[in-house]
Amino acid sequence: MTTVSAPPPGHTKDDDATGSVARVALIGNPNVGKTTLFNRLAGVRHKTANFPGTTQEAHLGPIAPGVTGIDLPGVYGLGLSTSESEIARAVLSGDLAPVGEHASVPDAVLIVLDAMNLSRNLRLAGEVLRTGARVVVALNMIDAARRRGLHLDAARLSDLLGCAVVPVSGRTGEGLGDLRSELARANAPTRTPPADESGLERWADEVFAAGASSGETAPDRLTDRLDRAFTHPIMGVLTFAAVMTGLFYVIFRLAAHPMDWIDAIFAWAGGAIGSMIPPGLIHDLLVDGVVAGVGATVIFLPQICLLFFLMSLLEGTGYLARAAFVIDRLLRPFGLSGHAFVPLLSGHACALPGIMAARAIPDRRDRLATILSLPFMSCTARIPVYVLLTGLLFPESPAMQAVAFTGCYVFGVLAGLFSSLIARRTILKGKSRPMALELPSYRLPDLRSALLTTRDRGWIFLRKAGTVIVVISMVLWWVGEFPRTAPPEQAVEMRAQAEDIAPTDEARAKELSDEADAVESRHAAAHSFMGRLGTAIQPVFAPTGADRQLTVGILASFAAREVFVTTMAVQVVGMDDTEDEGVLSALANAERDDGTPVFNPATSWAMLVYFVLAMQCLPTLVVTAREAGGWKWAGLQLGWMTAVAYGFAAATYLAVSALGA
Amino acid sequence: MQTIPLTQLKRGQSATIHRADLDAEDATMLRAMGLRPEATLRVCRNGSTCIVAVGTGHACTCRIGLDRSLADRVLVQPHS
Repeated sequence: MTTVSAPPPGHTKDDDATGSVARVALIGNPNVGKTTLFNRLAGVRHKTANFPGTTQEAHLGPIAPGVTGIDLPGVYGLGLSTSESEIARAVLSGDLAPVGEHASVPDAVLIVLDAMNLSRNLRLAGEVLRTGARVVVALNMIDAARRRGLHLDAARLSDLLGCAVVPVSGRTGEGLGDLRSELARANAPTRTPPADESGLERWADEVFAAGASSGETAPDRLTDRLDRAFTHPIMGVLTFAAVMTGLFYVIFRLAAHPMDWIDAIFAWAGGAIGSMIPPGLIHDLLVDGVVAGVGATVIFLPQICLLFFLMSLLEGTGYLARAAFVIDRLLRPFGLSGHAFVPLLSGHACALPGIMAARAIPDRRDRLATILSLPFMSCTARIPVYVLLTGLLFPESPAMQAVAFTGCYVFGVLAGLFSSLIARRTILKGKSRPMALELPSYRLPDLRSALLTTRDRGWIFLRKAGTVIVVISMVLWWVGEFPRTAPPEQAVEMRAQAEDIAPTDEARAKELSDEADAVESRHAAAHSFMGRLGTAIQPVFAPTGADRQLTVGILASFAAREVFVTTMAVQVVGMDDTEDEGVLSALANAERDDGTPVFNPATSWAMLVYFVLAMQCLPTLVVTAREAGGWKWAGLQLGWMTAVAYGFAAATYLAVSALGA
Repeated sequence: MQTIPLTQLKRGQSATIHRADLDAEDATMLRAMGLRPEATLRVCRNGSTCIVAVGTGHACTCRIGLDRSLADRVLVQPHS
């Protein structure tokens, strides 16, 4: 391995230029393997933090003894008007640092160049060299360049750039020791590239011509063929459909087991905590509020981790950039770009990672339209509601249940696309930026980076959504539990009767006692704050066919839609074990206060439509506010989705009632 | 030398970029991505999406995918 130090600067260096190096910013074009190199340098000790007031993330971590690296977003140039460029400029000038870090000019800059695409990469290197910062250049992917027969003269490049140039491979770890040594003694460059754009481009060409072998190679026909197939109007769509079907099949298939384990662990934890604490308020708060609430969130962790892991692997192959062009053609009529595809797809698992994935959309209007329409995608939290309502609608026909279930997904996608179209024609008016995307080389994905990304995403999900959900669960528990009322006479009588017959007919006594519990739970639910609120607000939801109990179900599930099923079960049956067939059949036969069925076909259809379209997810609103840049966007999303859901549910109720179904 | 829109090149044909008639933001971005005047390119795919390999010889490893509406406004001088 040849490592070349820069020649000693020809001018007097000030103290800053020779002081110890403690903070290093990593900068480079997108797709140069910068993050892979950073992960290799920092290992598992890195953390992820946002830049304040932005949605851009930086990875931070020790890249050498006593040296903290800040991995900046990939940029094509420092002078561009993209958010990535603005952040890179601000960090290099010491005006910005990731949250929790002190903003100051980095002690040195590590410029990461793709050895196989040096000509263009040198332009950004020139811009950084012009700042006069202490720099080291890493010629990354040197192993791949060597395999392609490309010879790079590190000594010559170092001489031309006026700084240390170290050939490295982030994948294999080649050259990392030399890189760390050079970082520790980084110097200001001894040469200054031209200041004007054309001059800089000529300079980059000249440096490349002098530092790299100039032999001709045959065009890469295999990549040409793959590109043509993957972006073909028909073949591209079919490939894409196959890849995504496989991806989601794997996610749902593999996530099922860990989800069951998590469910079992939390059930065990609830039981264990319950048995340790005497019955009472604290017992109920911990078991029914905190443990149940945390469990309800953590159960989605396997899907989220798998989604990010597989997407990260897929991204590493270079395929996703091609797929973006295929989807761009389909989404463009709705005012969305191909960049929106991955976020929208992720939204079918959970809106939170989907909205976070929208960060990668370069155009602000495209990004906002994607975020606003994304929660219409049917996430996994809707599944319990779909299962309940399609089961009630078609109790005898699993085939019709499946058709209705699929229809819910299609309806959600259409609602999202048309919402985006309306947003782009009104509040987000303006020309969409046509797609221009670098298509990275096809390669084997980097498992290490995928695992680190998964770890980061999983942790962010637990930290952000988990904390919010815990608070919501506790509040919901409280409003559903208080004020506590005396048991109704009917329940008291049933219990007394049960006690009387217990010695002679134990089975009947148990039955009576269970019925008394159910009567008491229904009574408590009706008289709790939530129950009273339901009675007060019911007239608002009356046009959708909702009675007091359904209104409570809607209100309780405002924070998390899956709560609807549990809330209905608790109110109607007085039990929350919805896997018990007896409970489902009791829900089917549940009666309103006036004796008519709660779930007749009209209300069931109306509720199904409502839950396909309604927002009903507080964590999504929190993440929308954070990612879109303000609560006004979250408010708009909530208002629009609720209005659409309410309108369609009311229309559905009217239509089905009129048909006499 | 005759200049034509990039979209008129045939698959496999090479050309030198003359200029891009785009708004400043798109033009600056494409330039930073490597699609700049005097740069050579080879067309890998031409259709609703244009894929070009930018640069020549060993340096020809940077592939850019372009929406047709952008590619239409990139004027090039075809190589014979």
